[in-house]
Amino acid sequence: MPKATPGVLVQCDPSIKAIINKIDAERNDYIIEDIDDETCVVKESKYKELQERLKEELKDTVKEAEESGSD
Amino acid sequence: VVDQIRLWQIEGDRMRATPGFLFKEFAGEEEYRGAVEYADTLGVLVWRNDGKRLFFVTRYEQLMGYFRNKPKKGAGAAG
Repeated sequence: MPKATPGVLVQCDPSIKAIINKIDAERNDYIIEDIDDETCVVKESKYKELQERLKEELKDTVKEAEESGSD
Repeated sequence: VVDQIRLWQIEGDRMRATPGFLFKEFAGEEEYRGAVEYADTLGVLVWRNDGKRLFFVTRYEQLMGYFRNKPKKGAGAAG
């Protein structure tokens, strides 16, 4: 019989996925199944936390882009 | 405010998150096909990867019933 694992399916850009992988690599605490560069399944209990960390990372990325780029 | 809008855009357009259940470790192609097609019929199938024999569903109760009721082939073990 196959296994059924509860989790959150995340489908995203490869650039976003790379950030998720980076966050997960610190403690291997979020990803249950790393499927490909656009897809993974994360722990349901940790999803909110991952989302927050992703927002932080993206904020930094946007800032860096603005500082080095526009105006 | 602009930053916030951008973040929402990133989440909305570039990332999709669906809570549910990942099915994996199928005995073979036949078992996988049967299950993924049944999930599709039930309307609970969100995503599938035939190459890796993985699929994701929003609900699993009916699928578990499907595995329990399915007569076992080959293996020889009854039960």
